Amino acid sequence: MAVVIECKDVTYYYPLTEKPAVEDLNLKIESGKFYGVVGENGAGKTTFCALLRGFAPGFYKGELKGEVLVEGKKTIEYGGELSAKIGYVFQNPFTQISGVKDTVFEEVAYGLENFGVPVEEIERRVIEVMKMTDIEALAEKNPFDLSGGQMQRVALASVIVLEPDILIIDEPTSQLDPEGTESVFRIIKALKDRKKTIILVEHKIDLIAEYADEVLVFEKGHLIKSGDKEKILSDISLLDRGVSLPQVAILGAKLKEKGFPLRKIPVTEDQAVRMIRESLKEGKQDA
Amino acid sequence: MENYIEKIQIRKSNKLAGLYPSTKALIVLMYAVCTFIVNTIEVTDIGLPLFLIPQFLVILILCKASGVLGRCIKALNTVAVVALIILLVQTFLVPGGDLIWRFGILRIYERGLRTAVSLSFLIMNIAGIFVWLFQTTENKEISRALEDSGMNYKAAYVFTSTLQMIEILGRNSKTIMNAQKARGVETEGNLIVRAKAFFPSLVPLILGAVISSEERVLTLEARGFTMQGPKTHLFELKKSGWEGKAAAASVLITVLLLAGRIMLWLL
Repeated sequence: MAVVIECKDVTYYYPLTEKPAVEDLNLKIESGKFYGVVGENGAGKTTFCALLRGFAPGFYKGELKGEVLVEGKKTIEYGGELSAKIGYVFQNPFTQISGVKDTVFEEVAYGLENFGVPVEEIERRVIEVMKMTDIEALAEKNPFDLSGGQMQRVALASVIVLEPDILIIDEPTSQLDPEGTESVFRIIKALKDRKKTIILVEHKIDLIAEYADEVLVFEKGHLIKSGDKEKILSDISLLDRGVSLPQVAILGAKLKEKGFPLRKIPVTEDQAVRMIRESLKEGKQDA
Repeated sequence: MENYIEKIQIRKSNKLAGLYPSTKALIVLMYAVCTFIVNTIEVTDIGLPLFLIPQFLVILILCKASGVLGRCIKALNTVAVVALIILLVQTFLVPGGDLIWRFGILRIYERGLRTAVSLSFLIMNIAGIFVWLFQTTENKEISRALEDSGMNYKAAYVFTSTLQMIEILGRNSKTIMNAQKARGVETEGNLIVRAKAFFPSLVPLILGAVISSEERVLTLEARGFTMQGPKTHLFELKKSGWEGKAAAASVLITVLLLAGRIMLWLL
């Protein structure tokens, strides 16, 4: 698959810091894949996202060594038009409201206004995205009057409406209740089905196991592991490095340890149920 | 399909309320000039600018004609309280000129009365015309007009978001007050108690606003705020059709008033 973002020997220092926030990063992001980013707090996940989007060093300043290329061009050489290529959604739903619009409809349309899209097309696209993100019922409300989960959906809608090919989503559910989390993940799933390239930072590891194709593990500014989610999330040794693993993977490892005949360690609930059932059947046949 | 574009437009049937914001700004300016001219016309033995008082009727008539009298009265009440305080303080505290009236320790001097009447009714008139402006004009009309008049879109953003943020900060401050109350900070009571609660509630409010402004910059950046090229505006600013007439009338009245004032001097 085509490489859309490439990091070459990237080391980045925030201003006035001696220790790099991200060090020796080499990575290729392929088009259409879903990347889950995990790691402890302060491991460099958010900095990684800011680097891909060019906010570091573009906005935060600081010192960047190496290169971050988006479609072959350095992020620092892009101007505002990078917002058309990469959508960016982050943690706090309250700060992701532009603060100049009175209704959700206008809020979602704001980016398209900046892009200079014709009025009729704006209306069509905004309505379509509001349907997709299930906020059409809120269209005439003031965005500041919404709940956290609703605001986060508005923030997602405001970015999706720009139709970027790449989406960077940084802990979108950390401030939401389970219901809000679920609604946000429904949207992320719909984006995955549309073959968008998605880079998602998320602490709820079971959701990563469910949706991601690949997993990137960060520790103290280094990318320590990357690859297929089943390979990474079934690596029990990661538990000792502060990475949380899916409950079912831990269960699988414990079962294996006790001599239960599992083919491999499951990472999602479905897999676990299937594998354990199979093993039990085989066990019966043997007996 | 619902017509959202139509719903966000502001349609005013009242021709005065629907004036283009820049025309309204001209009216406000001319009214302020008139107020200062009227302020120089001094009557009675001690030279009070009493014509400022009937001039205030113009505000009420303007509000009534724009169909917003009810809302304006509410805002004007607040202005009136401020003006009244200034009137009393100036009347009793500023010395100078002849003593006009005394009762116990209270004394009213000529100059005190003059500055009191002048200042408080200047405030009533000028604040009043601004009340009319803001009660008949929505924020997004003003920011749109500013942008159309060639103001940088970034400056227009700052203007609009500032107006919106006042409300948001007010709401946040209530949340913080409640949180501090839960931690035992007393926020209700006499002046001293409230003053003590000032810092624990204000510091988080301001710091929070500063921190969230950083994220808001990133949000705007992600929405193509710095994108080069022309922008689309869903909200269309309409003229009511009376712009020419209203502007001409306000300028004419001001010029006539000025001419009258000069005549009075010469005679």
